[in-house]
Formats: sequence, structure tokens, C-alpha cells
Amino acid sequence: MKWHRLLPLLVVAMLAFAAGCGGDDDETTGGTTAAEETTEAAGGGTLVFAGASDPVVLDGALVSDGESIRVITQIFETLVALKPGTTEPEPGLATEWSANDDGTVWTFKIREGVTFHDGEPLNAEAVCFNFDRWYNFSGPLQNPSATYYWQVVFGGFATYNKDSGAPEESLYKSCEATDESTAVLTLTKPSATFIPALSQQAFSIASPKALQEFKADEGTVDEDGVFSPGGTFGTEQPIGTGAFKFVSWVRNDRLTLERNDDYWGEKAKVDTLIIRPIADNAARLQALQTGEIQGYDLVEPQDIETIKGDATLQIIDRPAFNVAYVGFNTALKPLDDPKVRQAIAYGLDRQSVVDNFYSGRAVVATQFMPPEVVGYADDVPTYEYDPEKAKQLLTEAGLTLPVPIEFWYPTDVSRPYMPDPKRNFEAFAASLNNSGFKVTAKSAPWNPDYLGQVSEGTTQLYLLGWTGDYGDADNFIGTFFQSPQKAWGTTTNPMTEIQKLLDDAEIETDEGERETLYQEANRQLMTYLPGVPYAHSQPALAFSSKVQGYVASPTTNESFATVTIEE
Amino acid sequence: MSIAELEARELQLEPGGGGLWSDAWRRLRANPGAIVGFVLVGLFVVVALFAPLIAPEDPRTGDLSRLAGRCCPGPSAEHWFGVDQQGRDELSRIIYGARFSLLIGVVSVAVGLSIGMILGSIAGYVGGVLDSLIMRLMDVMLSIPGFLLAIGIVAMLGPGLFQIMIAVGATQIPIFARLLRGSILAQRENDFVLAARSIGVPRRTILASHILPNAISPVIVQGTLALATAIIDVAGLGYVGLGPQDPSTPEWGTMLTDTTRYLQTAPHLAIIPGIAIVISVLGFNLIGDGLREALDPKLRGRG
Amino acid sequence: MLRFVVRRLLLLVPILIGLSILVFLWIRALPGTPATALLGERATPAAVAAVREQYGLDDPVHEQYYAYVKTLSRLDFGDSITTRRPVLEEFQQRFPATIELALAAMLFSILLGIPLGFLAAKRHGGVLDHLSLVGSLLGISIPIFFLAIVLKYVFAVKLGLLPTVGRMSVLITIEHPTNFYVLDSLLAGDLEALWDVLKHLILPAVALGSIPLAIIARITRAAVLDVQNEDYVRTARAKGLSPSIVDRRHVLRNALLPITTIIGLQTGLLLSGAVLTESVFAYPGIGTWLLEAIEARNYPVLQGGILFVAIVFVLVNLLVDISYAFLNPRIRLS
Repeated sequence: MKWHRLLPLLVVAMLAFAAGCGGDDDETTGGTTAAEETTEAAGGGTLVFAGASDPVVLDGALVSDGESIRVITQIFETLVALKPGTTEPEPGLATEWSANDDGTVWTFKIREGVTFHDGEPLNAEAVCFNFDRWYNFSGPLQNPSATYYWQVVFGGFATYNKDSGAPEESLYKSCEATDESTAVLTLTKPSATFIPALSQQAFSIASPKALQEFKADEGTVDEDGVFSPGGTFGTEQPIGTGAFKFVSWVRNDRLTLERNDDYWGEKAKVDTLIIRPIADNAARLQALQTGEIQGYDLVEPQDIETIKGDATLQIIDRPAFNVAYVGFNTALKPLDDPKVRQAIAYGLDRQSVVDNFYSGRAVVATQFMPPEVVGYADDVPTYEYDPEKAKQLLTEAGLTLPVPIEFWYPTDVSRPYMPDPKRNFEAFAASLNNSGFKVTAKSAPWNPDYLGQVSEGTTQLYLLGWTGDYGDADNFIGTFFQSPQKAWGTTTNPMTEIQKLLDDAEIETDEGERETLYQEANRQLMTYLPGVPYAHSQPALAFSSKVQGYVASPTTNESFATVTIEE
Repeated sequence: MSIAELEARELQLEPGGGGLWSDAWRRLRANPGAIVGFVLVGLFVVVALFAPLIAPEDPRTGDLSRLAGRCCPGPSAEHWFGVDQQGRDELSRIIYGARFSLLIGVVSVAVGLSIGMILGSIAGYVGGVLDSLIMRLMDVMLSIPGFLLAIGIVAMLGPGLFQIMIAVGATQIPIFARLLRGSILAQRENDFVLAARSIGVPRRTILASHILPNAISPVIVQGTLALATAIIDVAGLGYVGLGPQDPSTPEWGTMLTDTTRYLQTAPHLAIIPGIAIVISVLGFNLIGDGLREALDPKLRGRG
Repeated sequence: MLRFVVRRLLLLVPILIGLSILVFLWIRALPGTPATALLGERATPAAVAAVREQYGLDDPVHEQYYAYVKTLSRLDFGDSITTRRPVLEEFQQRFPATIELALAAMLFSILLGIPLGFLAAKRHGGVLDHLSLVGSLLGISIPIFFLAIVLKYVFAVKLGLLPTVGRMSVLITIEHPTNFYVLDSLLAGDLEALWDVLKHLILPAVALGSIPLAIIARITRAAVLDVQNEDYVRTARAKGLSPSIVDRRHVLRNALLPITTIIGLQTGLLLSGAVLTESVFAYPGIGTWLLEAIEARNYPVLQGGILFVAIVFVLVNLLVDISYAFLNPRIRLS
């Protein structure tokens, strides 16, 4: 133990450390003050954007999480695009499309002169290669956790495996490249939701050469059944046609993209786009304030004032395209009684919650879909906050007050439609307690516990919501109510008439007819009350005020190509 | 729990002395730190016991109109500590919060202490296979960092006040078990025990009237310090989202955590519960420290 | 001495077996499944059932344990469910981060704690002594995440002196052969990167080091007080040795025995504290890794990760015990 000999060493180390910490401000040419540094970069500069978590895999066909999709949107494109800032379909990699009379054969004109990042040409054959790839997924790739969107839009695969959880029937029949720029897609039955659904990133067109060379579909399945990509397509070689090209990905640290100088359309303005994961909302705001990042998504309502008050920062609004609701399991007593459901509707002080917790950025919802979507009905039954009426209804239902009720809320989560679920919950619980109920609070971490409990149907009352994937009523009330779900109790207590309306609407190709069907469904839903929708909120993104040209999409998937950074 | 564990080891390094109760109290009274500790803890306990009489409002009922659409109005004449994100009086919540912190602290330490002491005295006095078995189990528990263990137990039992107390208590079981076993082993070989044995005093009487009373002094010190640790651990569990299930519960750790998102607009909402935690924990630490010095023979006769 | 070491090593075996059973059972007792975790908002009961089937979650428990031990014995910890990367690979990336943070915290607490405790003891009863006592008590009374939040808010957000998140600026790129970023930037010879990494370490290290600092200062003070009154120190003084030589050769040297022990014992504290500190600073270490894994019911990460952490913890404790025995001959015989 020669400690006295070590001591001087320690002192030296301490001095070195202190010197490191000491002031050498003038040397900090590019340290951590990101804001300064990016402006120094040549050309269009570097944009650093914070996501809430790391992407999973950069292969649109295999993921459904928002952070993977954010990056995939930059690298890949789809046949059908959405007009920036709207949910309106417009030509993407397909310049036009048409259907035969019964809506089962669709002909797509493929954009000419487009090349993938690896120099391969985009043509009809490449498009059909992608469709055939998806349709021929087998083994672990048929797992609903991998190919959720394919299964929602197209159903099953070429080979049916009843253990996979995927449906047997498939909407997809074949894809044929009749010439260099014409792809003909044949469906097994007509579909009205098919075109807008193709704008989702799950249907991103990737370079066939890269998919094969980097073994996109190969992987191993370990004892736990986890599929891990054997190839490098989804992690190191994601090759599409988008405005940005993949450069590198350091897990949990940063994902770097650069401008695609051969892009067919308007080229991206910034040279480099870095996306880094920061899980905590407050931490993202702080990182923006210190200049470590220049933008982030999902700004909390209470921070909007802070950001607006800071001249170096700005808020960019995302069009409202969501619904927040209190869901009921109508199979559980006393919620099987329509009077009790009405009593809850009257007992929820939705106006106060919307007014006080959303910083003036939300409206009270009257039905399960936002006003922008075709099929919205102006004349649904409404329920104003009225504690006395609620108590009266409960007494009419033959119950003794207060009526005990279990009310669930999620923890560890912030969604565009409910930035702080706990806060919404507390206010709702208080207003229900004033209206003849006795609320028992129940909570669970969002994922997987909370979502699991809700989908298993063990929750009486629960907070939930939805952001649209594409602009169609089918993606709102169709998703919720068309097929029976334990969460609503509709597996044991079906809403036969409403389900029939939704079935009819899905295959109805006449737009006017569809709208009428969905409006009727909305009216019936708000009479039946499987839950109480309470807010459509307008989410926000925050940026440094040097960042210009960001166009936020209602479906949360937007390209960074239009963004510029001022000096 | 890791602090508690350290303190336990620290205590174990010092041999427990016998027959020091007589002047321990006198030395405790002469220790200014301990007196401050008693004052702080006394205040804490009084506030906790008489919360309904002291608090100006009901801690669970708010009035959203006080928020006027933003979060959250700061201290004012009507609301000394401001109002929280549900329009509730923050002062009343802090006052009631003392109840929950005290309750959680006492119950979880009681869980850890009673189970730990039973296991420890069995291991220490019976010895043999039972000793090895118990102590290996304790080793396994100690091989997972305490806070992670607590998180794991809450994750398993589900969130809730009761589950939190169990989890925090469980992390303290091995500490108390080791501590008691160690001091029983030390006491067993002590002169007065050997003397008692040689004059034929029965084993049970030796354990009850000679060994336990002398082995207990480090446990008392540890118990006090464990109260401090328990309050901090509960706050930490609240921070990782594993606080009490009913969010209207005025528990300091959860109050702090829930309001860190308003740090930039209403910093008082996070800072006030933080200070309340620090004060109560400091009180128990001061008393524990004073007790240690008062009961430690080696420090006798020193300032 | 050798017998002691061998005995302690043998004791590791039942601990590790017990640990593997405990971790395995605990994971099975967790509510929820990775199926719902994977599917999120879009989970349907049919899909959940399919995933359960695929993951072998419906097999009998003993078969699941057997499969688990079989893979462990091959040092195969499986792939993370959320990132689909090998657990071992993630561990190799996350572990150095936490070690680097823990070492920085340790360095901070030792370099400040020992001199502080020493001075407090030398000026026993003086103002400095009282101040350091109060300070160290405050240090162990502040919840670590509260301190971290306050430090971050003041020094990063308000004063803008230091960064708020992560291990290094995303605008600097260097190779990471070791994943110890300090070492990596030294190897790359990139001083700018080094400075950046150090800046990212300061706040988390100070927050994490606050409790060890308090404890080390206290123990140093107590140990120096103890040693000062020993006969050999009095003898040395009586011999007329200069006070500084007595302090260095006799007082500090002997006081270092309990101090080193206490330093070794901080491992568990640092690992516990790392969970909270890392989550405040979005620091990609073991703590945030395990927290995320618990939330996502990421079984492979939990099974592998908790075992790794526990093994490291047990080994460090073993080293501490051995070195303590080595330093203190009285223990060796027991």
C-alpha cells in the first residue's frame, strides 16, 4: 500500500481535470453549443432534431412505431403521397392511377427518371418487386408485430400459417409490370380505403437490389421468438428514393442523414439531418433552449408560452387530426346500462379540461373523429357537464349513490391528444365524484401494461385516443368499432347495427353514400355511447427560430426536405 | 437502501459495546445536531398528526378555475405555496404529504426491520445450515443494487401505496438481518455472556436478557437512518413513475415528479416538495447520527 | 489468504444460481407481456395470442427456465425485443457509459471528500468541521434526482454553461473502439471531443457523486480522528517528526484502510443512483437501459442485464472484501 506515492498522481489527475473544466471558452470552436456550430457548416447546414426514442428498424414494411417512421419518411417514398400539411392524396412515385369498373384492377403510372440511392432505376418492375416481397413474407415476418399495416390494409400473405396471427384472406392478388412505367395491381375484392392507405410508410418502395443484396428478409429467430435482421438493409443500407440518404446510425445516440443530390423533385435544403433520441419532454425543451437540438416534436401545452416568449425559438402547429376519449367497457356492470353511460357523459367536465390543460389548443370533441374527416356529423347528440342530471340518471337506473366505478389512466406517456394523462384523469375523476360516482383510481405504465389491460377488457373506464394514419373515417370509427373488441365490451355485448353500417361504408365506392353511412354511424354511436370523446387537440412542434420551412403533417409523417437554416 | 447498507457496514466495523444505555441519553442531549434532528422530526410528526387541523383546505379537492387556463399561479396571500396543476392549495398538500411520508417510512422500515431481525437472530443464534441458507439468500438480495430491487418489486406487484412500502421494506431486510446476526455473533463471545454461561444461565435467558439488548443498539441507529433512506427511495420510485396509484394522493415524491414538467413555468411546485423531503430526511439522519455517537463506546469522552 | 479467496469465490456459485432463479421467476411474475409491448396501441387479442405463442410464453415454467439456462451457458443472452439487437452488444455499449459516469462520480467524491474530511478532522470542532458535517448530512439527505434536476436547470438551462443530455455532442464524430468516450477521444487524439465528453460528464458526475462525497468525507474525518489518538502517532510526534510527515506517513496512511473499504462499498450506491441520474440526463447507460426494459417488458434485456449488473456488483464486493482482508490481518484468520 504505497498510498503516499499515489497521492501526487491523484493531485496531477485532479489538476488535469480542473484544467479541462477551466475556462477556455475561446477554444470552444465546435464543442457542445450546437446552435453556433451548425451555422458554421458549409452550404445548407446541419439540422439536429430530437425524437422521443431511437428508431427500431429502417424498413417501413416491418415497423409501426412513430420514430422509425419519421426517419423512413426521409429516406423512402410511396406510390401515393399526401399533399404537405393535409391528408389529401397526391401523386408520389406514381404519377397517376385508375381502376377498372368494379374497383379490383388498379393501374399505376410510375414516375420516370427516378433512381434509388444506389443508382438503380425505379420502374414498374421495382414497384412490383416490393409488393411481391410484402405479399410473400413468411415465418416471423407474418407476425402482426412486424407487418401490422400490411395486415390491416391487405390482410393475409401468399402462404397461410394459422399460428402467425395473420388473417387467411388477402386483398392482394398480383402485381404485374406491363411495361417500364406501368404497374397493374389486382385485388381480390373492391376496396375504398386502398388508395389513401398506400400513403403510409409501410408501403415505401425500396431498391430491389439493396433488398436482396443486404438481405432485408433474412434473419434469425431466437428462443424468445424475436426476429433480428440477419441482413443490414434495415440498419445500415436502407436504400430508397427519398430526399435524404442514410449515412450512419449510432444506436441511442444519433442517426445521420445527408441530402440526396440526385433527388427527382425539389432537393433538400440542409446538407445534413441528425435525429437523436431524447425520451423526456422537459429534457427536449431544455436541449432546445441550450441549442443542443434545433427542433422537437410533441411540445407540451404548458411549454408553448415559454417557447413563444423566447425570441430564439418558435412553435410550429400540427393540424389537429386526433381524438381523445374516455372509453367504456360496455360489457361490465354497471356500464351495460345506457343510463349509466349517459350519466358519465353528463358527469365529465370536458370543457374545463379542454380549457385549462391544453393551453387553448384543443376543442371539445362531440364524436369519435375530427371535423376534417368526411363522415363527420354536425347533429350528433351532445352532453353538457351537468352533475345533477347525472345523479338523476343514476337514480333512474335504480342505483344507490355514490356508484363505485374503476377508472384507469396510463403513466409514462404523453400523446398528442393527451399530453398529461394523469392530469386529465384527476380532473375527470373529481368531476365524476361530484356527479354521483365514487371513482377508484387505477394506473399502469402505458406500454405494455396499460394498453394490455385495456385491450384485454379488464378496465371499466379508461383514457385513450387515436391519431389518424390517413384521412378516412374508416381509420377512426372503422378501426374502433367495425370489428368486436374487448376494450369496448363489443365481443360480448355487440353493437350490431353500428357494425353493419361500418361494414357497408367500407366497401361503398360512392363518396356521397359513404359519407351518409358514416354520419349515421356517428349519430348512433353518440346515442349508444361506447365512450365519451372529449378533445381534438392541435399538437405542436418547437424549433429554433433559425429553422424555416417546416410543414407539419396531420398524420405526423413529414419530410424535412423543405427546411432551411438561417445564418 | 445502499446508503443504509453502507451505514450498516460502517456500524459492523465497530464492535458493539455493552452497558452503555445509562449515559447514552446524556450524550445525546449534549449533541446539538441531534437536538436539531429531534426538532425537525418533531415538527414533521406534529404536522403529520394534526394535518386536518393545520391545513387550510382539503388536499384532494381543487378548483380548476384558479388556473385561469395556465399552469400554475405562484404563492399569494390566499395560497402561501401557490396552487398546483389541478387548482389545489399546495400548502395543504404539503401538510398532508407529511402524513404519507411518515406512514410510508415507518411501515416500510417496520417491514424490513421485523423480517430482517427475525431472520438475523435465527441465523446468528441457531447457526449451522439454517444460518448459511438465510445468509446466502440475503447475499442474493444484496447482489442486486437496492433501488433496482425496489423498482423490480413494484413492477411485479403493480403500483400502489402498499406495494411501495413492501418494496422499500424488502430492500432493507438483508441489511437488518446481517446487522443483527453480526452483533449477535459478536455478543456471543463477549465476556459477560461467557460469564453468564459459565454460571449456568439457560441459553434462552442469555439470548433474551443479555445478547439481544446489547445487539439492539446498532439496530436502533440503523432503523433511524433507514427511515431517512425509505423516504428518499419512495420519492425515487415516484420519479421513475412508480408512485401511489391514486394521483390525488399528496405524496411528496410524486408531487415533485409530477410537476418537474412545469419546472419552467411553475418551479415552486417542484421545489417546495423537494425541500420538504430534504428537511424530513435530514431530521432522521441527524438523530441517527447522534444516536450512533451516543451509543458508540469508541466515541465516548470525545466532543 | 488463498483459502479465504477460494472460499469467497466458491460462495459466488450459490449466489449466482439463486440470482438466476430469482431473476427468471421475477420476470415471469411481471404483469403484461412483450406482445402488448410490441404491438402498442394497435394490439388486438388475436395478435397478442400469436406473439405469446411465438415467444414460447405458454410453455411450462420449468421448460422455460431450462431454455433460459441453456442459452446462458452458451453466453447467449438473446436479442432485445425493442431494438432487435443482441443483448450482449447493447451491454457492451451501455456498460462502459455507466462505468465512465461512475468513475467520474467517484473521482469527484474522492478528490473532494478525502481532503475535506482530513481538514475537518485536523480542525476538529472548528468552523470547517461543523460546515463539512452539515454539508455531508445535507448531501445524503437530498434525493439524487432532485439534485440532478436542480443542477441541470441552473447550470445548463439558465446559465447555459453545460449540456443537458447525452454523452457527447451529436455534431462531433469519432471512432468508438472502447465505448469509453474519454478513452476513445484520447485514442483519436481529438481534444475538442475530449473536452466535449468531459463537459457532458460534469453535471451527472456531480449529482451521482454527491452521496459518496458526503460519506467519504465523514469516514475520512472519523478515521483520521481515530488514528490521531493512536499510540504510534503520539510516539511519532514525540520523536519530533514534523507534523506534515506525521500526517502523511502515519495518520493518512492508516486512515486510508477504512476509507478504501468505504470507497469500494459505494458500487451498489453508484449503480442505484445511476438509474435516476441517467434518466434525468438522458444518459445512455445501464440505468436507463434497464428502466426502459422494465417498462417495455423486454425479457431478454432484463434477464441478461440484471444478471450482468449483479455479477459486476458481486465481483466488486468480493474484491473489496479480499483487499480488506489483505489490508487487515485480523480478518484473514476468520
